[in-house]
Amino acid sequence: MSAYAALSRAVYKAAVRDATTVFFTFAFPLIFLVIFALIFRNQEVADTGRGYVDYIAPGVLSWGLANAALFGVAFTLMQWRNDDLLRIIRLSPTSIWSVIGSRYVVALGIGAAQCVLFVGVAMLPVFGMRPDQTWPLAIPIMLLAVTAFLALGLIVGSAANTPEAVAAIANCVVVPMAFLSGSFYPLELMPTWLQEVSRVLPMRYVNDGITYAFTGFGTMTDYLISCAALVVFTAVFAVVGVRTFRWSNDS
Amino acid sequence: MSSIDSPAIVLDAVSKSYGEVRAADEVSISIGRGEFFGLLGPNGAGKTTLIEMIEGLRLPDTGTIHVLGMAPAPRNLDLLPRIGVQTQRSAFFTRLTAREHLVTVAALYGLPPATAEKALDLVGLTDSGNVRVTKISGGQRQRLAIASTLVHDPEVVFLDEPTAALDPEARRDLGQMLRNLKAIGKTIVYTTHHLDEAQTLCDRVAILSAGRVLALDSPRELIARSGIGTRLVIPAGRLSPEQAGTLDGVNGVAVEDGMLVLQTAHTARVLAALDGEADLDDVETRPATLEDVYLELIGAPQA
Repeated sequence: MSAYAALSRAVYKAAVRDATTVFFTFAFPLIFLVIFALIFRNQEVADTGRGYVDYIAPGVLSWGLANAALFGVAFTLMQWRNDDLLRIIRLSPTSIWSVIGSRYVVALGIGAAQCVLFVGVAMLPVFGMRPDQTWPLAIPIMLLAVTAFLALGLIVGSAANTPEAVAAIANCVVVPMAFLSGSFYPLELMPTWLQEVSRVLPMRYVNDGITYAFTGFGTMTDYLISCAALVVFTAVFAVVGVRTFRWSNDS
Repeated sequence: MSSIDSPAIVLDAVSKSYGEVRAADEVSISIGRGEFFGLLGPNGAGKTTLIEMIEGLRLPDTGTIHVLGMAPAPRNLDLLPRIGVQTQRSAFFTRLTAREHLVTVAALYGLPPATAEKALDLVGLTDSGNVRVTKISGGQRQRLAIASTLVHDPEVVFLDEPTAALDPEARRDLGQMLRNLKAIGKTIVYTTHHLDEAQTLCDRVAILSAGRVLALDSPRELIARSGIGTRLVIPAGRLSPEQAGTLDGVNGVAVEDGMLVLQTAHTARVLAALDGEADLDDVETRPATLEDVYLELIGAPQA
């Protein structure tokens, strides 16, 4: 078995064997989705002929994807560094890219599972989401979203030395970002200046891209801008992530 | 340079400072292949820094290091598969079983799962293979940590306080395991605070303090050269300290806890002389230990 495959398996098992991880990755966003969908049930967004669920589901999905990718990699990195596992890996012939790659492929898998689950639930008759023909466009955005937030997670995982610190920092990053990016509340209903603030947040572009894919809201140009923005965010986060990376806590 | 006769590890005048602190000060040590080598010294003496430099995790400021004829730093992919490192913290993959953990470690070296099974067997953990790493006992944790170190069959093994925090029985078992490792020809470098254990296990030890090597030799040689000699402990009342001082071969006399303690380099002569003066029942002879040597070297007031 290659080091990459073995590490992927180790990461995967660590994730699915932890009830907290499973809850916050799948159940928690789903609860939000269900609550919002029930509150706005049978309501249509003016002039679009679409139900609220068509906008809320992509929003909650964006937040869920970002949350899981960021928390997952930040926890793994912090834990592996604290437990000296990074040292063990560094003292073996395995390259650091196998480590990051294994975490990446697991994050992508989890992201794909989230998409299927959340969209599937939203499409239940009781909620009645109707994805647009353009739904496959959600796949590239999903990949880019997971990549960008994984890179951000590398920074958080290097900054934090305890599980509490990971949770605190990650929540401070993700929760305000989700609100300011329109994941729970349409951006159009926010003050103009807040809408401008959202342009410097990666989650806004995840949200825009996924919403376009599922509802056709916006234009293809907006969609491509979202993709490009996420590539830029990934590059910036990756550069900072590599610079802040530490093999152990005492050096 | 990498012939079988060449030393496993050579340190030549290795120095390393952290600000004002000298973590290693002109350290020169040569460790032979198949040798069981102990690094002893108080916390902060520089043991860990030295080991991490040998492993290639840290660079010395000056001096050179060779392991199996190769430079360990920068990260040397030819060397890494030939050394095994156990860290102080037990490094186990989160939420895996002992077996899964070892399979993962084996894969880091490109080895099949069967190697993990062999390592489990080597440390006697086959029956606990399916237990989560967080659920196994302290002694088993240490065994698993050592199994992780051995999974790729390295030539040189570094063990950092493998017997710390173990109960006496687990310590004894682990000691036996370490002897077995030596028997199969591994070069072992280990640190410990258990000096009795170091005395019985190590071919040679280095005693470090403040980054300097204070002593470097076999425990037996160190003890012999220290001149501490043997202590004869005589129950109170058998003879007076003054009388004892006149006995043939006695170098020193002290009263400790009501017992008379005689210091000598010639136990037989003292016992013979004592036989005429007092009852020999319950007279205890205590040969000097590595701990005595260590305490004399380290305990000396740091001038």
